[in-house]
This record gives sequence, structure tokens and C-alpha cells, in this order.
Amino acid sequence: MDTQNTLATNPLREGIDARQAPEPCALVIFGATGDLTHRKLVPALYNLAHEGQLPQSFAIVGFARRPKTHDQFRAELRESVAQFSRFQPINPAVWDALAQAIFYHQSEFADANGYKSLGEFLQKLDAERGTAGNRLFYLATAPTEFIGIIQQLGANDLAQADRTHGAPPRIIVEKPFGRSLSTAQELNHELSSVFGERQIFRIDHYLGKETVQNIVALRFANEIFEPLWNQKYVDHIQITVAESLGVEDRGGYYDKSGALRDMVQNHMMQLLSLVAMEPPTVLEGEAIHDEKVKVLRAIRPIKPDQVQQFTVRGQYARGSMAGKPVPAYHEEKNVAPGSRTETFVALKLFIDNWRWAGVPFYLRHGKRLPKGVAEIAIQFNAPPAVLFAAESSAPLQPNALVLRIQPDEGIAIRMNAKVPGNAINLQPVKMDFRYGGSFGTRSPEAYERLLHDAIISDSTLFTRRDEVERSWQIIDAIIEGWDTAPAPFPYESGSWGPTEADEFIQRDNREWRRP
Amino acid sequence: MPNSAQLETFTAGVETAVDVAQIERQLRELWQLAAESEKDPSQRQITRACLFNFVVLCETDAEASHATEVVSTLTSHHPCRAIVLSAVSDAAQSELSASISAHCHLAGTGQKQVCCEQIAIHATGQSVAHLGSAVLPLLESDLPTVVWWPGNFLNRLDLFRRLVAVADRVIYDTSMWSDPQPQLARLAQVITEHPRCSFTDLSWTRLELWQKLAAEFFDESHCRAELTHIRAVDVVYGSGPGAGVRALLYGSWVAAQLGWPVAEARANIHLSASDDRDTTSVGMLSVAIKTDDAVFSVRKNHGERVASATIDMPNACGLPRKRAFWPTDDASLLSQELDHPGRHPVYEKALAMAVAVLETGSG
Repeated sequence: MDTQNTLATNPLREGIDARQAPEPCALVIFGATGDLTHRKLVPALYNLAHEGQLPQSFAIVGFARRPKTHDQFRAELRESVAQFSRFQPINPAVWDALAQAIFYHQSEFADANGYKSLGEFLQKLDAERGTAGNRLFYLATAPTEFIGIIQQLGANDLAQADRTHGAPPRIIVEKPFGRSLSTAQELNHELSSVFGERQIFRIDHYLGKETVQNIVALRFANEIFEPLWNQKYVDHIQITVAESLGVEDRGGYYDKSGALRDMVQNHMMQLLSLVAMEPPTVLEGEAIHDEKVKVLRAIRPIKPDQVQQFTVRGQYARGSMAGKPVPAYHEEKNVAPGSRTETFVALKLFIDNWRWAGVPFYLRHGKRLPKGVAEIAIQFNAPPAVLFAAESSAPLQPNALVLRIQPDEGIAIRMNAKVPGNAINLQPVKMDFRYGGSFGTRSPEAYERLLHDAIISDSTLFTRRDEVERSWQIIDAIIEGWDTAPAPFPYESGSWGPTEADEFIQRDNREWRRP
Repeated sequence: MPNSAQLETFTAGVETAVDVAQIERQLRELWQLAAESEKDPSQRQITRACLFNFVVLCETDAEASHATEVVSTLTSHHPCRAIVLSAVSDAAQSELSASISAHCHLAGTGQKQVCCEQIAIHATGQSVAHLGSAVLPLLESDLPTVVWWPGNFLNRLDLFRRLVAVADRVIYDTSMWSDPQPQLARLAQVITEHPRCSFTDLSWTRLELWQKLAAEFFDESHCRAELTHIRAVDVVYGSGPGAGVRALLYGSWVAAQLGWPVAEARANIHLSASDDRDTTSVGMLSVAIKTDDAVFSVRKNHGERVASATIDMPNACGLPRKRAFWPTDDASLLSQELDHPGRHPVYEKALAMAVAVLETGSG
């Protein structure tokens, strides 16, 4: 993308690293004392520093309510980095250099003076640390704070490009991006009244995962798959994101959200659009967004009166996980008594375009399922059985291509092979490629890649406004239908969801995979 | 057919002697036994992985022993079929013997082990001439072949030519050659003669951080204009094997990338050996890229495995950048290189420039 340009101007870059060293930058994290900052963001920044991928002139400013000195903040972050960085142990030289670039700014999120003093502090950093007026804001707070912070940034001239620097400030917005189409539109409206679309980076950390990026490589860098990637050869596609955990300490948030909003609207819709999209003209952000949004637009909406035909929702009941009893969802902390919030959802979607006409996409997500796993399975049509029907007692298993996203990232192909012996007995066998076994290296954390991309203003792995809004449009109709539908079906914790979900797919003469 | 005790010995990394002609069959049977054991949950779960053939040519027993240690480390990140060849020509007796073993590593957090096989072939005396025919049938089909030659292949061109014919890549280390500078012209010629093979010098790999830090100076827009005004590249190097050749490659790299004519390169590149006898003053010590208005410096911090980069220029951000050096043991350098397949055209350009600079100097 930018490589050619960089080589043209900096010949010493050739052959060293395809990625350009980022321009100087100051990163302001709102919600700097929260879990996200400590567990993900700062460890990811340390990892980038370790890999030499941060700008030469860089500063991190933590913005939060609690009073704290710079040194206290640095000491807390060091502990987090020691615990959560993928590079262990911490390299003191790398940490010390990064720690010098970390600062703390205490303010209420609604206090205009806090933003004025933030602006002054950033100017001071520009002079002292050479951050050159280039700003990146990260909203890592509770979503209820988003709009207030955006408005304050606008009102205090922090969203405008510095006179001496060309790059306009960017803003990264964490999920959830709204809780309905109208709230997402409202948030988009507030954002666009202060920032241009190219300044807005809506994060979906699934897109930062190596294996998700590999979907594009698998499809378009291998000639053998793409010719089969359509309604002529594919019977159906299953996308599963299973979690073994319950709601843990997120009961209050989750009870207002539910599985559909929490996982399907964002992560699973993104996986679906990457699997189903047409090849982009170039591997650049806008071209990829264009193709993804075409898929989302082609998804046949599930009307409110069709939810019982195309969806199943469930809620976990008591059960046991890893041999230990666990409570039901409605017994969890901060969950409303008699809550109808779903912790399991299964959907059947159709994409009404030439490539996917008539191919169902089954999406399944749930909490307290037997194991945590995310995968996309492309199930091909069954082969004609005429040759082997007389010889083999079992029906032939159709081929399946499985993209495992987590854990144990890799790709597996299921095919039929003859069992050694005189008789012609066929048995499905699995050809298995595992990233861990083949490449041996640990993939960068999703947040590393996404933070780096935001710093260099590459929006490829972020979601665009129209993607988010179209996705909410689909989800809203389902939620509307659920409002008048029966309550979610209970399922035992540690099972693969309610039996109604099995019946749901069995009606189509298909089965859920057991990942 | 091997038994489970033999499988245990094999996967524990213990070398088992095997007839050269039976190597493939023996390995096939061992892996089949491992696959059958996998069905029994009480047994150790083992998967074989192989992404490339890794042929190591050793000229002494000590080198072969070191190569086995390197392969053991390397396979945790780069699964391969390792074929370690010992070619001891000056022995009185002619012998050809082989052994097999496996290097196993736990994969991720699970209990499953990922194993790679190592085939060791020991040839002495006249048998060295037959090593090539022993290796070719052992190469895994459809996978690239990487040859690592810890010594100087220019001294063994007969054997080298047999291996390079099947190699996709040859890795060597001019820092370990005795008096490498006079041999660079011959090396450059050999590289030109084999256009389908990629040549990798671990001396070049050691320069990566130095190059990266220099390149980063000029990524920033306000420094970029200085690129066309460079008038000197001062490289200071210390003691240790190959430090001088690395300094030469570094200066030549800057010159080649900036498109300097050879005469300009000769005039602008200043290499000097440090008088510092401190044991920590090994390899490259500092680089200063000078223009009329600025000095871009990279310096190895005394006694640390860290380099600092600074810019001395009006209105420039003068904050030092610090970056840790990669470990420079063989396994780490090889691992770093194996992450980047393909030819190294920038290295080849730098080598050609180094040869031209040396030739002009001697003329």
C-alpha cells in the first residue's frame, strides 16, 4: 500500500521491513485505569515497542478520573505489562524507554477544563517529545461516556489538525458501537460532526486476529479454493463462536445486551462478510470495506414475524463445567430476575447474490458451551454416491474446509479415504494445518496490529460506518421479532445449546458440527 | 517394524544407527507407529511437522555436534526435515554411516508434541564424494530445500555444486571465514552463477538492526530531504570475527541504496577499527551518517545488547531511540532468516558494491 511510496522516497527501507515506521504521534487513552488499558492496550504497545514498531517520537497519555501521578501510573502499567505481554520477561531497556513516554492526565470525562489542560499538555509534549501535533484518541471507557468525550474533543478544538502538521487527529472507538441501529446512527452522527470518516477507527478486535486476516489469503492466494467458493459446490457454511465462560462479572452490561448484540452484530457479521465477499480490486481499506458492505447489503433480512423460522435463542441453566457445578444465567450477579436475555443464538441467513444464492449460512454463538472455540466451516456438497453406495454401509461424508480462528489456529480439510483392506470401506480423514505446529511463532496480539494500523492511519482492519449500520439493521429486525416471541429456551451449562437449536438445523437435513 | 521402545528412544532425541538405504523406510514405520499410538489417550500425543528440508554441511565432528544443537532449537519455530551431513575428507578410512532421531517440542498449551526428524549422515575419506547421492533421495518432495554451510563453501566447490543444484537457498556466514574480504569477489560470482537459488549471509543478518535504525531516520518527512545530501558514512568496528567485513557490507549498503558511483562510495565510506580492547567492543560499534546540516548516529551502548539512535539536526526531534539487538547465536540468526524467504537483492547489491570498492581500492 504505502510501501512503494516509502521506497521511492527512502531507499534505505528497501528489503528491511514492508511496514513504514510510523510518523510521530501522541496516543490519548480515555479510560486509562480500566481493564482494557491494562490487559490489552498497554501490553500491546509494549509489544510494538519491543518489535520496534512504535514511532520514534511517541507519547501515551492516560486520561481518567482517579488522581494519580505519572510515576504511579507507569508503575501500575509495568505490572500489567509483566503479566500480559507476549514477550516474557520484560526487557528493561525497552520498558524504560517506553515508560519515559507514558503520562497521566486526571480529569472527569465531562469536565471541559480537563480537555483544555489536555490540549496544553499535548502541545508541551509536541515540543518536548517531538510528537508533532499528531494525535490519536482511544475511547476505552464505558460506552455511556463515548458521546460526551467526542463532544468535548470537538468543543475544545482537539479534533482539528494542528496548523503545523498535516495529519488530522484520529479516534478509535471500542465496541459496543451502539446497541441498535438508532443508537449506532446517533453515535455515528456525533462522531461525524466532530471527525471526518477517515479519522474514525471503529475497532473490532476479531479483525486483528491473524487467522481472520488469513481468510483473505486462503481465498485469494490459493487457486484451488476460490473456484469452489460458491453455490455450485458449497452446501452450507457454519460459523461458530463458542465460549465456555458465563457472563462472569459482566452481568449488568450483558443483561442489557445479550448474545446477538454482543457477538453476532460485530464479530460474526465481520467473519461472514470476509468469507462471503468478492475479491477486492486491491488490498486496501476502502476496497475491502466496499466488498464487505456489499455482502451485508445482500443478506436477506429476517423479518420480525420470521424469527421462529430463522433463529433460535437460548439461555444457560445450571450445569457443570470442567467437573464443577455452575449457576444458571438468571442466578448470576447483576442479572435481572426473570431476564429474557439470550446467552445463545443460532441464525440461518441467506445472501441473495449470484455467488451464494440458496446457500444457508448458519451462525451459532453461546456462552457456557463445552469449550471456547471459534471456527468457520465450509461444507461442500455431498459427492454422488453411485460408485460406493453398494460397497460402503455408511453414507459418504461431504468434504469440509474448516478455518479455526481460536484456539489452535489452523485450517483442516475433511476428505474421504479408503480404509486399508480388501473391502472398499471409506472413512473421513482430516488433513490438518496448524499455525502453531507449522510456523512455531506466536502471532501478534490483535490489539498490536490494530493499534499499529491506527497509528499509521490504515483503516483496512476497522469497520466502516455503512458496515456497522447495515449490520444493526439486520440485528434490529430480529430483536423486534423476539420481543413478542417466546422466552429463550433453557440449555444446560456445558452442553452445545438448547435441543431446539439441533432441531432447527435438522429441519434442513443438516447437523451442527461439534468443533 | 519398530516397537514402542524404539519410538520412545527416537522421539527422545537419541540417535539410532540405521542403514543409509533404510532411512526412509525406518522413518515411515516410526511415524506410523506414532500415529497408531495417538489413538490411545494414555500414550504421548505426537504430530510430525515439516515445512522444508534443512541440509547442514559440516566438515568436522564438532561442527556436526553443534549443528544438532542448533537444529534442536530451530525446529521449535521452523519445523523441517534436518539432514546433518559430516564430510570428513582427510580421514584414512572410507565410511558412510547414518542415524536418525527426532526433535520434539510441546505445541502451544496442549500436551501434543510437534516432532521433526533429523537424519545424520557421516562420511569419511572417499565416501565424501558419494554424499550427494545419499542426500538427494532423502529430500521431502514439494518442499523447499535450505542448505546451511557453517564453514566456507568456496573451499569445497565440488560438493557445493552438487548441493546447490537442488537447493532453493544457501545460508553461510562470512564472519566465520578466515580473511573473508579477498573472497567476496568469488562469492559474488558464485551467486551470479546460480540465479534460482537465494544466498543468505548471516553477517548481513547481524546488520539488520543497524540498517533498520538508519532507515527509520529517513521515514520521517522532515529528515527525508537530507538523504540527498549525505557526504560521509563513518563506521567504527571493534574486535571479533568478521567485524571488518560487516562494516564494509554496511557502508556498501548505504552507497548502493543511494545509487552512488563506486568512486563516490570509496570517498564517502570511512571504515575504522576501534582501538578499544574492551571485550564488549565486538562487531559494529557505531555508525554516523553525515550531511552538511545533520548527523544521524547509531551506537551500540557500551556493555549492553542495545543500540541507540540519535539525530543531531536543527529543529529535529533529538530523542534517542533504543532498541535491543537480537541474539546472535546461530539458531537465532537462522530463525530470523527463515522467517524471510526469497532472494536478498539488497544484499546482492551491497555485496557487488563492496567488491567494486575493494577492487578500486586495490587498483
